[in-house]
Amino acid sequence: MAGSTEAARQLFQAHGGAVYRFAAVLVRQHQDAEDVVQETFLKLLRHLEGGGDTSNIRGWLFTVAAHAARDRQRARMRWVPWLPAHEPRVQPPVLPDEDGRLKSARESLRRLPDRDRLLLLLRAQGLSYREMAVAAGVKPTSVGQLLARAVDRWAAARKDGNAYDLLERHSHPGAR
Amino acid sequence: MTCLNDIHIQALADGEGTDEMRRHAAACAACTARLREREALMAQLRVAVDPPVEIPALLSERMDFRLKAEATRTRQRTAEATRSRERTAAGATRLRAQSRSSDFPTFPRSFRLQAEGKWLYGALAVAAATIIAVLFVAPSIRKGDATVSAAEILAKSATQLSAAPATGVEVLEYELVLDGVPKEMLPDQIEGAYRIWQAIDHTVPGRFRFASYTPDGRMFSSIAEDPAAHRRVAAFSAEGQAYRFDVTLPDGARNLSLPEMQRLHMQASIALMQASGNQLLETIDGPNGKLYRIEVPHVSGPGTNPLWDLSDARVVIDSRDFSVVEFAVRGAFLKQAYSMSYKLLKHVTAASLDPNAFNVPNQAGEIVITGEGSAVPSHDVFLLSLRELTKLKQGR
Repeated sequence: MAGSTEAARQLFQAHGGAVYRFAAVLVRQHQDAEDVVQETFLKLLRHLEGGGDTSNIRGWLFTVAAHAARDRQRARMRWVPWLPAHEPRVQPPVLPDEDGRLKSARESLRRLPDRDRLLLLLRAQGLSYREMAVAAGVKPTSVGQLLARAVDRWAAARKDGNAYDLLERHSHPGAR
Repeated sequence: MTCLNDIHIQALADGEGTDEMRRHAAACAACTARLREREALMAQLRVAVDPPVEIPALLSERMDFRLKAEATRTRQRTAEATRSRERTAAGATRLRAQSRSSDFPTFPRSFRLQAEGKWLYGALAVAAATIIAVLFVAPSIRKGDATVSAAEILAKSATQLSAAPATGVEVLEYELVLDGVPKEMLPDQIEGAYRIWQAIDHTVPGRFRFASYTPDGRMFSSIAEDPAAHRRVAAFSAEGQAYRFDVTLPDGARNLSLPEMQRLHMQASIALMQASGNQLLETIDGPNGKLYRIEVPHVSGPGTNPLWDLSDARVVIDSRDFSVVEFAVRGAFLKQAYSMSYKLLKHVTAASLDPNAFNVPNQAGEIVITGEGSAVPSHDVFLLSLRELTKLKQGR
């Protein structure tokens, strides 16, 4: 059991940063990203203690993180967003992930549909098509096609990130 | 083979293409150019969406702690399952020589819980009983063996509780922080923080005095009872007005004194903790040496509607003299949330004490209400107040 804890800690050292970056771009709140990381590695510990398969632990981690992020985003939708105008005396905190780099990454993806964003992030982390299929919940044979389109949309969004509402276009394919 | 479509190009750029695709791309200049373009785009994607941001240091620390805590819970669950199977009294929380918890963060002195209602006596009694448990029980635990388990400590605690001191006067001083129901039920909630002084006379059964003080040293409340003198005095302030209830106690009115009720409550709580079999005992390094830390993560009464539920109970004991250094508990009694923490300042047992120490001091401008009391102090306060109100109304 102590071995599992130590193994989980080592895996956190090895992959925690990648999972954090993955989650930080995927979700909108950095607190959520931290919670996703925590949930992912706690599940990893239980997975290890239960003698789970460790042949592809990186793919496993991103799959769990993707599901945790999705659940968290869904939960967020049930909450009314807090507006700074409600409490003008409180200055917004300086978030560790808002120094420009993550913010830029988020903005380059934020107009994409959720599935596109997820596929791009998974691919950027080096997951294979088979692993991506599991993590994103799509058919393995569809990953290539979906990813190719997602990359195209992302490239288009970068060229015209202002008014290029890809979400709307994606919802109405015939308009293209 | 015809030229590759976008999906084939994407697959090749991702290293997922087939040999046939690769051969075509190598032979076709147009497809090679498209592949290079796609590979460049994917490289940009990796740079753009996987920025070189380090994981926050606080997250690393939190993760480290959570992994340990999770492993601890798993150990506890395993131990509990083992114990329930084997039905032995040995417990699975035997203290090991090597400290493994020195990097656990210290717990806050009070927990913030929202109480949904008010139920004074049960919650107060539970809070007080838990304090007494530590004050009476923990200092009495002394064991010369190399190892000691939480189960053994609790067993000794139960034994110790059933054998109260026969003579002498115990004097205790401690800081107390309450939250939830106990805090809300007290008049003039003073941030829920108090300094408590109490004396228990074991030579005269039922004789005691409690006094609570605000952080600025002002007496907040006090109650003294002397069955031999047939008298009980309770004093407190509410909305800036001091009150004093001075009642005579008829023969046979006394049932259980407050300390006795606390002791009985504590025996029940110890039994509850023993029944849980879910204690954790560890050593941590303190500024003056080794400390024992006992934690009960979650204890519930039997059934689906538990009378009493401890969601957390933690105590830190100095290994040199087994005195309690810190203590914190939170939970619910009759579904009412409460939490408390305390810090022991003084605990002595003397052969006797100045008799004046058992008298409740008078407060300036206090309203004195006298009458005949009963076995229940709160009943007296309520009834005597109504009588006074009736007199005033009828006198007009």
